[in-house]
Amino acid sequence: MRRSVFAVLVAAVPLFAAGAILAQDAPRLRGPEPFTRETPAPPMQRQITDDVRVTRNYPDQPPVIPHSIEGYAVDLNANKCMSCHARKFTEQSQAPMISVTHYQDRAGNTLGGLAPRRYVCVACHVPQTTARPLVENVFTDMDALTEPEGQAQRRQR
Amino acid sequence: MDLTRRTLLKTQAAAAAATAAGVSLPAEAQNIPTGEDIKLQWSKAPCRFCGTGCGVMVGVKDGRVVATHGDMQAEVNRGLNCVKGYFLSKIMYGADRLTQPLMRMKNGQFAKDGEFQPVSWDQAFDEMARQFKRVLKEKGPEAVGMFGSGQWTIWEGYAASKLMRAGFRTNNLDPNARHCMASAAVTFIRTFGMDEPMGCYDDFEHADAFVLWGSNMAEMHPILWTRITDRRLSNPHVRIATLSTYEHRTTDLSDAAIVFKPGTDLAIMNYIANHIIQTGAVNREFLDKHVNIRMANTDIGYGLRPEHVLEQRAQHANDAQVSHPSNFEAYAKLMSEYTLERASELSGVPKEKLEALAKLYADPKVKVMSLWTMGFNQHVRGVWANHMIYNLHLMTGKISEPGNSPFSLTGQPSACGTAREVGTFAHRLPADMQVANPEHRKHAEEIWKLPHGLLPAKVGYHAVQQDRMLKDGKLNAYWIMCNNNLQTAPNTNNETYPGYRNPANFVVVSDPYPTVTAMAADLILPTAMWVEKEGAYGNAERRTHFWHQLVNAPGEARSDLWQLMEFSKRFTTDEAWPKEILDARPEYKGKTLFDVLFANGEVNKFPVSELDPAYENRESKEFGFYVQKGLFEEYAAFGRGHGHDLAPFDTYHQVRGLRWPVVEGKETLWRYREGLDPYVEKGAGLQFYGNPDKKANLVAAPYEPPAETPDAEYDLWLVTGRVLEHWHSGSMTLRVPELYKAFSGAVLFMHPDDAAKRNLRRGQEVRIISRRGEIRSRVETRGRNKMPPGVVFVPFFDASQLINKVTLDATDPISKQTDFKKCAVKVVLAATADAGGVQ
Amino acid sequence: MAAGITRAWGWFRGNRWVKTALSPPAYLSLGFLTLGGFVAGVIFWGGFNTALEYTNTEKFCVGCHEMEANVFEELKGTIHFTNRSGVRAGCPDCHVPHEWTNKIARKMQASKEVWGHIFGSIDTRDKFLAMRKHLAEREWERMKANDSLECRNCHSSESMDLVKQNPRAASAHEQFLFTGEKTCIDCHKGIAHKLPDMSGVPGWQ
Repeated sequence: MRRSVFAVLVAAVPLFAAGAILAQDAPRLRGPEPFTRETPAPPMQRQITDDVRVTRNYPDQPPVIPHSIEGYAVDLNANKCMSCHARKFTEQSQAPMISVTHYQDRAGNTLGGLAPRRYVCVACHVPQTTARPLVENVFTDMDALTEPEGQAQRRQR
Repeated sequence: MDLTRRTLLKTQAAAAAATAAGVSLPAEAQNIPTGEDIKLQWSKAPCRFCGTGCGVMVGVKDGRVVATHGDMQAEVNRGLNCVKGYFLSKIMYGADRLTQPLMRMKNGQFAKDGEFQPVSWDQAFDEMARQFKRVLKEKGPEAVGMFGSGQWTIWEGYAASKLMRAGFRTNNLDPNARHCMASAAVTFIRTFGMDEPMGCYDDFEHADAFVLWGSNMAEMHPILWTRITDRRLSNPHVRIATLSTYEHRTTDLSDAAIVFKPGTDLAIMNYIANHIIQTGAVNREFLDKHVNIRMANTDIGYGLRPEHVLEQRAQHANDAQVSHPSNFEAYAKLMSEYTLERASELSGVPKEKLEALAKLYADPKVKVMSLWTMGFNQHVRGVWANHMIYNLHLMTGKISEPGNSPFSLTGQPSACGTAREVGTFAHRLPADMQVANPEHRKHAEEIWKLPHGLLPAKVGYHAVQQDRMLKDGKLNAYWIMCNNNLQTAPNTNNETYPGYRNPANFVVVSDPYPTVTAMAADLILPTAMWVEKEGAYGNAERRTHFWHQLVNAPGEARSDLWQLMEFSKRFTTDEAWPKEILDARPEYKGKTLFDVLFANGEVNKFPVSELDPAYENRESKEFGFYVQKGLFEEYAAFGRGHGHDLAPFDTYHQVRGLRWPVVEGKETLWRYREGLDPYVEKGAGLQFYGNPDKKANLVAAPYEPPAETPDAEYDLWLVTGRVLEHWHSGSMTLRVPELYKAFSGAVLFMHPDDAAKRNLRRGQEVRIISRRGEIRSRVETRGRNKMPPGVVFVPFFDASQLINKVTLDATDPISKQTDFKKCAVKVVLAATADAGGVQ
Repeated sequence: MAAGITRAWGWFRGNRWVKTALSPPAYLSLGFLTLGGFVAGVIFWGGFNTALEYTNTEKFCVGCHEMEANVFEELKGTIHFTNRSGVRAGCPDCHVPHEWTNKIARKMQASKEVWGHIFGSIDTRDKFLAMRKHLAEREWERMKANDSLECRNCHSSESMDLVKQNPRAASAHEQFLFTGEKTCIDCHKGIAHKLPDMSGVPGWQ
């Protein structure tokens, strides 16, 4: 079936303001001016640990971790994440159960417990800090494409 | 939207009833999105990031990428991605995406000290062509250069290679893969005569022991790490040993975490070799039948500028690559110096650990997969390190069979597929051929339908040398594509930046985003990325993987391929080629480089009608022929029948990649082994057919110390590298909010005792100072990396903390790859130092 | 047998020192001896206590390489070593009870550790790793038995300000700690040192 990929992107990309060369200027991304200058290092950012679930950008995205994972063991001896997110502990902890995709092995078989290939949670799930993004990202949520007026407000954090 | 179960059921019932009655209901009766509203077009692609080469499925709606997920059908990852891969859908959408060429101008003219102004492509190419022609005329082809990329698509690297070598007739084309895989690539050729691993990822499911040498796979090759973890957790007999200069997420999941002093990995490997020899674990039959023994030249210097005292003192700085035929006895004698005591003393590793590791290699029943990346490659003795690991596998015969695998992991998504296989290095041609070999040049000229004698024989400037030549004013017209070298080259304040701003030079940067490098250029060309163009990558296990163009690039951004081909139209053969060649072959006179390189009957062989109608293909539509297919098929002619066989172009669009050599439609998993590799002669069993005598070369070398070791003043080792969340210089990942917020700035990982000694606390601002420069950063004593005392680590993704101002431009003298893992620094509190305090 | 006891008793009573000790003072006054005895007692007790308290310092604990290189090194990355307020826990804060009788009991148990040190039961990294689970379990049992008494030396559950805790922690404390259903160590294993092999440990995986 013929797919239309001639849709114009321009509407989503900010146009140049008169006189502005870059659509957005992020000095920390384009380097110091002049290059040889030393810039102060901004302070290290704090983790967001308010336990509030952040909307995923699309269904398949691994959710970000809304709590502290400082010192949490993910090694051969222990997987601290599973002490709350394993199916058997979810009632006690009220933590979301690991997604059903995490029970599948490489061949696609569904196992009775966490598939070993999924053991290292932090390869996909990351916590967030209070750092404010250096540039805007104009990725558009698929729902916004179909229903621009019906979108939930994303919290500024 | 208030949706109750009752309402939904009512709607569904109404719809069902209406359909049955042949009545259509008004659209408002649907109150959840259905149909077209929630349909996405899914297409396959390889991930944009590391050399693992995961397959992803990309969801497109209304001309935008809205979702991705791991491809269940891709052999590499079977549905998994890492966090970077899961945010691929955001990497193209940073708001500061470049959409117009920008050139430094004053009064409407190009001026080196001018401000950036938007110009049209025509204006950009006009000036660029003018500058390149000027330099070609005044200084000749050796003053023209290009710094390409292991993140170029295969045909982009191929087109660049043609343009530089056959167009401008210079070999000054080097990729950023020089900084990442040169040591590995060079050693492959020296050992096996052919580049790239003989094993594949299937080794993960067969090995009994994994030994990781300086490789933090948990963060750098996360999906391959899942395959190791899967194997280890599912099979209790499996062991993981990780050697590193500090503890990190990979050592956390290793059975043996071996922390050694920087640079002493060489001594450890020689000790293991010694152990194998002394305990009679050498497979003599295998050695005698399949392996030549050679001794490397020693005292080979550090690839610094020739005037440097270390280079002056080195005995074999100028013939570092030379090795001499030898025998097993001489090898055993050299190895006998590496006793357990000496290795333990040098490396600081307890004897029991070293011995246990040696036993893993020595035991013939244990299938060992050795894995390495930058710990070995970014090393002043990187080639020797690669040799030493092959030596262990060759001595025990643990090679080219499932599970027994010395596996050189690749960093970039197509350092294999593009930089190495296409040969975008200063000394290479496609299919492992060398520019210095007249037979190879002749063969290339034939395939390219070019006059004999056209291709330049002189090896061009490699990466670090290009920067030096720019600084010295010997390289004057320079095109940087798909990399951020000003941020990632070593000793960048002194050796890279001056060259870019040298008034004698004209520097062009093609990039999607305004990076540090772009900001220092004279002309910036906005570039299309990833699925904004039809592309192909080749990953670490020789898997070539294609993707279609899925969305359009913003504004006037164009792919590197379009830029290369369009630029070639601005030159004629009369301007670029020597008179003698044209006089001998007058039919080539008066043609544009585009005509002879791309409209040569081969590259323009396939008409636009062969395009897949479901997908856009901007380059082909503009040039009037199927550009990618033509380039690919011409390129494939180099390798087919010579052990580098690639499948037909169209096949790759159907499958999730194939591992070459692909012979009669069948991919090759293990090379050099009869029955598994179609190129091995019947009855031979095992053949290293890359070498004329079909044997591999065991090259012996001693331990030699790093270029710069900590001393009284600069008392810490500095190691640089990456973190999971960010790719290389961060130009893509720092623009993804979730990845940025996960790790927003570089930090200095340091042992708490080292911090206490310097009166530092976590979070304080410090100056990291070396003999070459300094930067400011923040102390981290509790992070994912647990440094031993005396060693610190800083990742290089942060454009505001340019750690490469501090690093040293010492390279492996054979591979010319920079050692980013070892130099000496001191760390002081920023405030005190500012106040003029004594450190 | 009886003759032996008689003879021993005879020797005892005949001994010169014993005779002096059992006779009333001839030269020293009552006051002197009483006061002197009192002062000497204080000095002795002070000395004993100082020595005892010295064995309760972090410095003493990490004097043994087994402790310094293994568990102390692991502590350095954790919140009990470095945190926002700088209030940190040393080895004795968690591992030595504050209460005198329990403390002395623990000190007597510590003779086992001295034995271990002399005979090198965990003097290499590998030996330590092999014993880690045993060592951890011992501490967990102790803490479970005394309702995490050492934790409560600093972390009083009555003084917890739930506003300052993040929701997950507040909810868990309310549900399990305040009700007495669980004790600190039940959930906070691994808070200060690396976890041993957790297979078979209730409440884990």
